[in-house]
Amino acid sequence: MAYAHTPISRLLKPLLQSFRSLSLSSNAPRAASFPSSIFPNPRSFSTTPARLAKQQGRPKKDPRITLIRYHLQHPKTPRPLRLSRMRALRHWTIHRAWMLAKRKKLAGEETELMRMYQSMHSACEELRTMDSPGTRDAGRLYRIALEKKGIFKHGGVPIEYARLQTDTPGREPWNHGWTR
Amino acid sequence: MSLRELSSIFYRLSRRAVRPSATISQNCRRYASTEASRASPTQEVSEDLQELESVSSYYPISNPNEDIKAYDPVKRVQGRRRQLPPSRYQFRSPRYYRGPLHPHQPPPPSDPSSRLFVPGPFSHTRLEQTYQSTIAPDLMAMTYVHTPPGTVKAEKGDRLRSWDGSSPYHKGRPKRGPRGPGEVLRVMEKDINFRNIPKIESVVVHSMVKGALDDSAHLHVAGIMLQAVTGVRPVVHRAKHSEAQFGIRISQPCSLTCTMRGNQALDFVDKCINLVMPRIKDWPGVKGTTGDGAGNISFGFNREGAILFPEVEVNYDMYPPKMIPGFHVTIRTSATSDRHARLLLTALGVPFYGKLVD
Repeated sequence: MAYAHTPISRLLKPLLQSFRSLSLSSNAPRAASFPSSIFPNPRSFSTTPARLAKQQGRPKKDPRITLIRYHLQHPKTPRPLRLSRMRALRHWTIHRAWMLAKRKKLAGEETELMRMYQSMHSACEELRTMDSPGTRDAGRLYRIALEKKGIFKHGGVPIEYARLQTDTPGREPWNHGWTR
Repeated sequence: MSLRELSSIFYRLSRRAVRPSATISQNCRRYASTEASRASPTQEVSEDLQELESVSSYYPISNPNEDIKAYDPVKRVQGRRRQLPPSRYQFRSPRYYRGPLHPHQPPPPSDPSSRLFVPGPFSHTRLEQTYQSTIAPDLMAMTYVHTPPGTVKAEKGDRLRSWDGSSPYHKGRPKRGPRGPGEVLRVMEKDINFRNIPKIESVVVHSMVKGALDDSAHLHVAGIMLQAVTGVRPVVHRAKHSEAQFGIRISQPCSLTCTMRGNQALDFVDKCINLVMPRIKDWPGVKGTTGDGAGNISFGFNREGAILFPEVEVNYDMYPPKMIPGFHVTIRTSATSDRHARLLLTALGVPFYGKLVD
């Protein structure tokens, strides 16, 4: 009986049993061994098979829909995790460290952006105050620097710009000769 | 105690010796112009700084090594007045939230014993990294508006209507909105600075399932498809009014929405832009007139577009092919106008076509 619990045998067992029962019934008919008056079959009350009677009224459902409905019944949230004291403590420590790291990263990003913004500001201020007021073309560079021509129109940001960073960028960054 | 103080003094002295060189090397970016202009005054400034104490007084004086040696876990355990609960004790989060006054409160969602706990994140999103390193600074530079120092802000008129004080009950009443039916206070566009660069806040996927009016199977198939695509359990909405033209009766379930936030939303946008949109046949792009005027952009995928999502494509056979729905996608951005939101989405790679309306 060592093989009795292996998954293959478990799968095969009902098949084998059905096969055996088939062969048994063919070899020795039941009517001979058990008289029907002692074991009356409750199904034999009606002569029509039960399955046929059920399927007549309704149209056949797609089994995929039945499967989808079955899986939609899955409970929303699983049982909460249960950690022992030390595991919970470890989790807590790691969580705090992660929050700290995240906050540091966000603060770093913001200070970097602020630095850029301030340097832009100082550069523009420099351009603005470069020329004395009376001179010809005073503030020309300042005006050009702050021009926003067409950034909100089509092609304001070229489509080639939208390429996300990858670890392994392609050898040819953009196929300019592509046509449909 | 004296020994301990001595060691701390040594520690502070050594830190003071090390600190100034560290501050110089801290800024890893070098600009030739900045250095040239700074060359002479740097020396004077550093001399001035010599008098200042380099270490703040808030720095803990105790030596960490001594703290570690002084820590005795056994003594600590014995000194406890009450024993801790046994290690196998498990806190059980309440199944339902019963309000802030109930004595049994659920733990924060970051706690693993919470029912809302979600492990992760396990990876960074590509979109987020690109946005942070490239797109955000570029958007900021592109839309930079210079305000010279000392600029006086022009006073703007009040947008809300105030009450005339004809009744004593007008005191403390909130101001009224704009006059007229259907009028709402419009969102005003703000200049972009380093604090409010537009970014994606959340993505809402919505699908009106017409077949659900006759057969709930349509709703179920659409629900499980949206769940596969977005990773969020869809919420079912019922019809608010009866509409004879659409064949809708009141309180009949007819549509589904999924709301994604954070990394999920970014991943979904990434999928749309890089996997689905390029493969839709004869697709001109997103209409330029989209947007609600407050920086939220919507577009839609029809049935053929929905099939192109990798989650649907992988086991396409599991969905009854006639019941796969199309859906609308609304990208909610932190931009305050449509053109800013469109700028962000164009930078991410969404093509727009036709007339652009702000």
